[in-house]
Amino acid sequence: MTHQTHAYHMVNPSPWPLTGAMSALLLTSGMIMWFHFHSILLLFMGLSTMLLTMYQWWRDIVREGTYQGHHTPVVQKGLRYGMILFITSEVFFFLGFFWAFYHSSLSPALELGGCWPPVGIYPLNPLEVPLLNTAILLASGVSITWAHHSLMEGSRKQMIQALTTTIALGLYFTILQATEYYEAPFTISDGIYGSTFFVATGFHGLHVIIGSLFLIVCLIRQLFYHFTSTHHFGFEAAAWYWHFVDVVWLFLYVSIYWWGS
Amino acid sequence: MRGLLISCSRTLIRPFSSSTRNLANRVAEKQKLFQENNDLPVHLKGGSQDNLLYRLTMAICLGGTSYSLFCLGWASFPHKK
Repeated sequence: MTHQTHAYHMVNPSPWPLTGAMSALLLTSGMIMWFHFHSILLLFMGLSTMLLTMYQWWRDIVREGTYQGHHTPVVQKGLRYGMILFITSEVFFFLGFFWAFYHSSLSPALELGGCWPPVGIYPLNPLEVPLLNTAILLASGVSITWAHHSLMEGSRKQMIQALTTTIALGLYFTILQATEYYEAPFTISDGIYGSTFFVATGFHGLHVIIGSLFLIVCLIRQLFYHFTSTHHFGFEAAAWYWHFVDVVWLFLYVSIYWWGS
Repeated sequence: MRGLLISCSRTLIRPFSSSTRNLANRVAEKQKLFQENNDLPVHLKGGSQDNLLYRLTMAICLGGTSYSLFCLGWASFPHKK
Protein backbone atom coordinates (compact mmCIF):
# COMPACT_ATOMS: atom_id res chain seq x y z
CA MET A 1 0.00 0.00 0.00
CA THR A 2 2.14 2.87 -1.22
CA HIS A 3 -0.49 5.30 -2.51
CA GLN A 4 -1.15 8.57 -0.71
CA THR A 5 -4.15 8.92 1.62
CA HIS A 6 -4.41 12.73 1.42
CA ALA A 7 -5.51 15.19 -1.28
CA TYR A 8 -2.30 17.20 -1.50
CA HIS A 9 0.27 17.14 -4.30
CA MET A 10 3.70 15.74 -3.45
CA VAL A 11 5.63 16.75 -6.56
CA ASN A 12 8.26 14.58 -8.23
CA PRO A 13 11.85 15.85 -7.85
CA SER A 14 12.39 18.34 -10.66
CA PRO A 15 15.48 19.91 -12.23
CA TRP A 16 13.73 23.11 -13.31
CA PRO A 17 14.24 25.22 -10.17
CA LEU A 18 17.97 24.55 -10.52
CA THR A 19 18.10 25.27 -14.26
CA GLY A 20 16.01 28.39 -13.60
CA ALA A 21 18.49 29.63 -11.02
CA MET A 22 21.41 28.88 -13.33
CA SER A 23 19.69 30.71 -16.18
CA ALA A 24 19.34 33.74 -13.88
CA LEU A 25 23.11 33.63 -13.34
CA LEU A 26 23.72 33.40 -17.09
CA LEU A 27 21.30 36.27 -17.77
CA THR A 28 22.91 38.61 -15.27
CA SER A 29 26.54 37.73 -16.04
CA GLY A 30 25.56 37.74 -19.72
CA MET A 31 24.35 41.33 -19.43
CA ILE A 32 27.63 42.32 -17.81
CA MET A 33 29.61 40.69 -20.64
CA TRP A 34 27.41 42.47 -23.19
CA PHE A 35 27.51 45.92 -21.61
CA HIS A 36 31.21 45.94 -20.74
CA PHE A 37 32.90 43.57 -23.17
CA HIS A 38 30.56 43.46 -26.20
CA SER A 39 30.09 39.68 -25.99
CA ILE A 40 26.59 38.21 -26.34
CA LEU A 41 27.31 34.47 -25.92
CA LEU A 42 26.53 34.25 -22.18
CA LEU A 43 23.38 36.35 -22.58
CA PHE A 44 22.21 34.13 -25.42
CA MET A 45 22.80 31.05 -23.25
CA GLY A 46 20.86 32.72 -20.43
CA LEU A 47 17.90 33.56 -22.65
CA SER A 48 17.73 30.07 -24.14
CA THR A 49 17.98 28.28 -20.77
CA MET A 50 15.35 30.64 -19.34
CA LEU A 51 12.93 29.84 -22.16
CA LEU A 52 13.70 26.10 -21.97
CA THR A 53 13.12 26.10 -18.20
CA MET A 54 9.84 28.01 -18.49
CA TYR A 55 8.56 25.74 -21.26
CA GLN A 56 9.42 22.49 -19.46
CA TRP A 57 8.32 23.61 -15.99
CA TRP A 58 4.90 24.79 -17.18
CA ARG A 59 4.58 21.74 -19.45
CA ASP A 60 5.10 19.56 -16.35
CA ILE A 61 2.41 21.47 -14.44
CA VAL A 62 -0.05 20.80 -17.29
CA ARG A 63 0.94 17.12 -17.17
CA GLU A 64 0.50 16.96 -13.38
CA GLY A 65 -2.91 18.66 -13.49
CA THR A 66 -4.58 17.54 -16.70
CA TYR A 67 -2.99 14.14 -17.25
CA GLN A 68 -2.22 12.92 -13.73
CA GLY A 69 -5.13 14.46 -11.83
CA HIS A 70 -3.06 16.01 -9.05
CA HIS A 71 -5.01 19.31 -9.03
CA THR A 72 -7.63 18.39 -6.46
CA PRO A 73 -9.82 21.19 -5.03
CA VAL A 74 -7.43 21.86 -2.14
CA VAL A 75 -4.43 21.95 -4.52
CA GLN A 76 -6.37 24.30 -6.82
CA LYS A 77 -7.02 26.56 -3.82
CA GLY A 78 -3.27 26.78 -3.29
CA LEU A 79 -2.74 27.62 -6.96
CA ARG A 80 -5.36 30.38 -6.65
CA TYR A 81 -3.60 31.84 -3.60
CA GLY A 82 -0.33 31.67 -5.51
CA MET A 83 -1.66 33.56 -8.53
CA ILE A 84 -3.32 36.20 -6.33
CA LEU A 85 -0.10 36.74 -4.39
CA PHE A 86 1.91 36.98 -7.60
CA ILE A 87 -0.45 39.57 -9.10
CA THR A 88 -0.33 41.50 -5.81
CA SER A 89 3.46 41.61 -6.04
CA GLU A 90 3.13 42.97 -9.58
CA VAL A 91 0.74 45.65 -8.33
CA PHE A 92 3.46 46.79 -5.91
CA PHE A 93 5.97 46.73 -8.75
CA PHE A 94 3.88 49.19 -10.75
CA LEU A 95 3.08 51.24 -7.65
CA GLY A 96 6.76 52.14 -7.47
CA PHE A 97 6.76 53.59 -10.96
CA PHE A 98 3.55 55.51 -10.31
CA TRP A 99 5.19 56.88 -7.13
CA ALA A 100 8.14 58.05 -9.19
CA PHE A 101 5.83 59.71 -11.72
CA TYR A 102 3.76 61.55 -9.11
CA HIS A 103 6.87 62.52 -7.12
CA SER A 104 8.31 64.34 -10.14
CA SER A 105 5.08 65.65 -11.66
CA LEU A 106 3.34 67.01 -8.55
CA SER A 107 6.22 69.36 -7.69
CA PRO A 108 8.12 69.87 -10.95
CA ALA A 109 11.74 70.91 -10.52
CA LEU A 110 13.04 74.35 -11.45
CA GLU A 111 15.21 72.74 -14.15
CA LEU A 112 12.03 71.54 -15.89
CA GLY A 113 10.61 75.05 -15.90
CA GLY A 114 8.55 74.47 -12.76
CA CYS A 115 5.72 72.98 -14.84
CA TRP A 116 4.42 69.61 -16.00
CA PRO A 117 4.79 68.63 -18.78
CA PRO A 118 8.28 70.13 -18.62
CA VAL A 119 9.30 72.93 -20.98
CA GLY A 120 10.10 71.52 -24.41
CA ILE A 121 8.08 68.32 -23.97
CA TYR A 122 5.07 67.93 -26.27
CA PRO A 123 3.05 65.04 -24.84
CA LEU A 124 0.95 62.69 -26.97
CA ASN A 125 -2.68 63.69 -27.42
CA PRO A 126 -4.63 61.52 -24.97
CA LEU A 127 -7.70 61.59 -27.21
CA GLU A 128 -5.95 59.97 -30.15
CA VAL A 129 -4.22 56.54 -30.13
CA PRO A 130 -4.08 56.30 -26.30
CA LEU A 131 -7.88 56.56 -26.16
CA LEU A 132 -8.21 53.89 -28.84
CA ASN A 133 -5.87 51.69 -26.81
CA THR A 134 -8.09 52.20 -23.77
CA ALA A 135 -11.13 51.10 -25.77
CA ILE A 136 -9.22 48.08 -27.10
CA LEU A 137 -8.23 46.83 -23.65
CA LEU A 138 -11.70 47.44 -22.20
CA ALA A 139 -13.20 45.51 -25.12
CA SER A 140 -10.72 42.69 -24.52
CA GLY A 141 -11.93 42.56 -20.92
CA VAL A 142 -15.46 42.03 -22.23
CA SER A 143 -14.40 39.35 -24.73
CA ILE A 144 -12.42 37.40 -22.14
CA THR A 145 -15.47 37.39 -19.86
CA TRP A 146 -17.49 36.12 -22.83
CA ALA A 147 -14.89 33.37 -23.29
CA HIS A 148 -15.13 32.39 -19.63
CA HIS A 149 -18.91 32.16 -19.67
CA SER A 150 -18.82 30.17 -22.91
CA LEU A 151 -16.37 27.77 -21.27
CA MET A 152 -18.54 27.36 -18.18
CA GLU A 153 -21.60 26.74 -20.39
CA GLY A 154 -19.76 24.15 -22.45
CA SER A 155 -19.87 26.14 -25.72
CA ARG A 156 -16.54 25.07 -27.19
CA LYS A 157 -16.64 26.99 -30.48
CA GLN A 158 -17.81 30.22 -28.85
CA MET A 159 -15.08 30.00 -26.23
CA ILE A 160 -12.46 29.61 -28.96
CA GLN A 161 -13.86 32.59 -30.89
CA ALA A 162 -14.03 34.82 -27.80
CA LEU A 163 -10.53 33.91 -26.65
CA THR A 164 -9.15 34.48 -30.16
CA THR A 165 -10.87 37.89 -30.18
CA THR A 166 -9.23 38.73 -26.85
CA ILE A 167 -5.79 37.73 -28.15
CA ALA A 168 -6.31 39.69 -31.38
CA LEU A 169 -7.24 42.81 -29.38
CA GLY A 170 -4.16 42.36 -27.21
CA LEU A 171 -1.92 42.08 -30.27
CA TYR A 172 -3.62 45.13 -31.83
CA PHE A 173 -2.85 47.10 -28.64
CA THR A 174 0.79 46.02 -28.79
CA ILE A 175 1.17 47.00 -32.45
CA LEU A 176 -0.46 50.41 -31.88
CA GLN A 177 1.69 51.07 -28.83
CA ALA A 178 4.82 50.12 -30.80
CA THR A 179 3.94 52.62 -33.53
CA GLU A 180 3.28 55.27 -30.85
CA TYR A 181 6.74 54.60 -29.42
CA TYR A 182 8.27 54.98 -32.87
CA GLU A 183 6.39 58.20 -33.66
CA ALA A 184 6.71 59.89 -30.24
CA PRO A 185 8.41 63.31 -30.35
CA PHE A 186 10.24 62.57 -27.08
CA THR A 187 12.55 59.74 -26.00
CA ILE A 188 13.42 57.93 -22.77
CA SER A 189 16.47 60.22 -22.48
CA ASP A 190 14.34 63.37 -22.42
CA GLY A 191 14.59 64.08 -18.73
CA ILE A 192 12.35 62.76 -16.03
CA TYR A 193 9.28 63.00 -18.28
CA GLY A 194 10.82 60.60 -20.78
CA SER A 195 12.06 58.25 -18.06
CA THR A 196 8.76 57.99 -16.20
CA PHE A 197 6.74 57.72 -19.42
CA PHE A 198 8.74 55.00 -21.12
CA VAL A 199 9.60 52.92 -18.04
CA ALA A 200 5.99 52.84 -16.80
CA THR A 201 4.35 52.29 -20.21
CA GLY A 202 7.23 50.04 -21.29
CA PHE A 203 6.81 47.62 -18.39
CA HIS A 204 3.07 47.72 -18.99
CA GLY A 205 3.60 46.80 -22.64
CA LEU A 206 5.83 43.91 -21.58
CA HIS A 207 3.03 42.68 -19.32
CA VAL A 208 0.56 42.92 -22.22
CA ILE A 209 2.90 40.70 -24.25
CA ILE A 210 3.27 38.23 -21.37
CA GLY A 211 -0.51 38.22 -20.87
CA SER A 212 -1.10 37.65 -24.58
CA LEU A 213 1.31 34.69 -24.53
CA PHE A 214 -0.51 33.24 -21.50
CA LEU A 215 -3.82 33.59 -23.38
CA ILE A 216 -2.34 31.93 -26.49
CA VAL A 217 -1.25 28.97 -24.34
CA CYS A 218 -4.81 28.80 -22.99
CA LEU A 219 -6.18 28.84 -26.55
CA ILE A 220 -3.91 25.93 -27.51
CA ARG A 221 -4.97 24.01 -24.39
CA GLN A 222 -8.64 24.68 -25.15
CA LEU A 223 -8.13 23.40 -28.71
CA PHE A 224 -6.67 20.21 -27.22
CA TYR A 225 -9.63 19.74 -24.86
CA HIS A 226 -7.67 20.30 -21.63
CA PHE A 227 -10.33 22.51 -20.02
CA THR A 228 -13.65 21.27 -18.68
CA SER A 229 -16.63 23.45 -17.86
CA THR A 230 -15.94 23.12 -14.14
CA HIS A 231 -12.13 22.80 -14.02
CA HIS A 232 -10.07 25.36 -15.95
CA PHE A 233 -7.92 27.19 -13.46
CA GLY A 234 -5.17 27.91 -16.01
CA PHE A 235 -7.67 29.96 -17.98
CA GLU A 236 -8.93 31.74 -14.87
CA ALA A 237 -5.37 32.65 -13.89
CA ALA A 238 -4.78 34.06 -17.40
CA ALA A 239 -8.04 36.03 -17.17
CA TRP A 240 -7.10 37.48 -13.77
CA TYR A 241 -3.71 38.51 -15.17
CA TRP A 242 -5.35 40.06 -18.21
CA HIS A 243 -7.77 42.14 -16.09
CA PHE A 244 -4.80 43.27 -13.98
CA VAL A 245 -3.01 44.44 -17.16
CA ASP A 246 -6.17 46.30 -18.19
CA VAL A 247 -6.48 48.04 -14.81
CA VAL A 248 -2.82 49.12 -14.86
CA TRP A 249 -3.41 50.66 -18.29
CA LEU A 250 -6.42 52.60 -16.97
CA PHE A 251 -4.25 54.07 -14.21
CA LEU A 252 -1.49 54.82 -16.73
CA TYR A 253 -3.93 56.49 -19.10
CA VAL A 254 -5.56 58.68 -16.43
CA SER A 255 -2.29 59.61 -14.66
CA ILE A 256 0.38 59.90 -17.36
CA TYR A 257 -1.51 60.41 -20.61
CA TRP A 258 -4.43 62.49 -19.41
CA TRP A 259 -3.59 64.31 -16.14
CA GLY A 260 0.11 64.41 -17.14
CA SER A 261 -0.56 66.33 -20.33
CA MET B 1 -25.49 43.91 -26.85
CA ARG B 2 -25.84 40.15 -26.65
CA GLY B 3 -27.81 40.14 -29.91
CA LEU B 4 -25.03 42.12 -31.56
CA LEU B 5 -22.45 39.65 -30.28
CA ILE B 6 -24.46 36.68 -31.53
CA SER B 7 -25.02 38.17 -34.99
CA CYS B 8 -21.29 39.05 -35.23
CA SER B 9 -20.35 35.54 -34.12
CA ARG B 10 -22.17 34.10 -37.15
CA THR B 11 -19.66 35.77 -39.45
CA LEU B 12 -16.83 34.40 -37.31
CA ILE B 13 -18.12 30.80 -37.03
CA ARG B 14 -17.40 29.88 -40.67
CA PRO B 15 -13.64 30.39 -40.75
CA PHE B 16 -13.33 28.64 -37.38
CA SER B 17 -15.54 25.58 -37.86
CA SER B 18 -13.13 23.73 -40.16
CA SER B 19 -10.05 24.38 -38.03
CA THR B 20 -11.68 23.29 -34.79
CA ARG B 21 -13.51 20.28 -36.21
CA ASN B 22 -10.33 18.38 -37.08
CA LEU B 23 -8.90 18.15 -33.56
CA ALA B 24 -9.97 15.04 -31.70
CA ASN B 25 -9.94 14.77 -27.92
CA ARG B 26 -6.73 12.89 -27.12
CA VAL B 27 -6.60 13.68 -23.40
CA ALA B 28 -7.47 10.11 -22.37
CA GLU B 29 -4.43 8.75 -24.22
CA LYS B 30 -2.19 11.29 -22.50
CA GLN B 31 -3.71 10.42 -19.15
CA LYS B 32 -2.88 6.74 -19.76
CA LEU B 33 0.70 7.60 -20.75
CA PHE B 34 1.35 9.81 -17.74
CA GLN B 35 -0.27 7.47 -15.25
CA GLU B 36 1.73 4.44 -16.31
CA ASN B 37 3.39 2.69 -13.40
CA ASN B 38 7.00 3.14 -14.53
CA ASP B 39 8.43 5.26 -11.67
CA LEU B 40 9.50 7.96 -14.13
CA PRO B 41 9.39 11.56 -12.86
CA VAL B 42 6.92 13.79 -14.67
CA HIS B 43 9.62 15.72 -16.52
CA LEU B 44 10.81 12.53 -18.25
CA LYS B 45 7.54 10.61 -18.46
CA GLY B 46 6.59 11.78 -21.94
CA GLY B 47 9.26 9.77 -23.75
CA SER B 48 12.67 10.15 -25.35
CA GLN B 49 12.05 13.75 -26.41
CA ASP B 50 11.80 14.69 -22.74
CA ASN B 51 15.22 13.23 -22.10
CA LEU B 52 16.73 15.06 -25.05
CA LEU B 53 15.29 18.41 -24.03
CA TYR B 54 16.34 17.91 -20.40
CA ARG B 55 19.91 17.02 -21.39
CA LEU B 56 20.09 19.99 -23.76
CA THR B 57 18.84 22.38 -21.06
CA MET B 58 21.20 21.04 -18.40
CA ALA B 59 24.15 21.00 -20.81
CA ILE B 60 23.72 24.69 -21.71
CA CYS B 61 23.18 25.55 -18.02
CA LEU B 62 26.30 23.74 -16.81
CA GLY B 63 28.40 24.86 -19.77
CA GLY B 64 27.20 28.41 -19.35
CA THR B 65 27.85 28.42 -15.58
CA SER B 66 31.43 27.22 -16.16
CA TYR B 67 31.88 29.83 -18.90
CA SER B 68 30.53 32.58 -16.65
CA LEU B 69 33.10 31.63 -13.99
CA PHE B 70 35.81 31.69 -16.65
CA CYS B 71 34.62 35.15 -17.76
CA LEU B 72 34.72 36.31 -14.15
CA GLY B 73 38.32 35.20 -13.91
CA TRP B 74 39.17 36.87 -17.23
CA ALA B 75 37.44 40.15 -16.37
CA SER B 76 39.19 40.33 -12.98
CA PHE B 77 42.54 41.07 -14.57
CA PRO B 78 43.74 43.96 -16.71
CA HIS B 79 44.31 43.25 -20.40
CA LYS B 80 46.50 45.26 -22.77
CA LYS B 81 44.35 46.91 -25.44
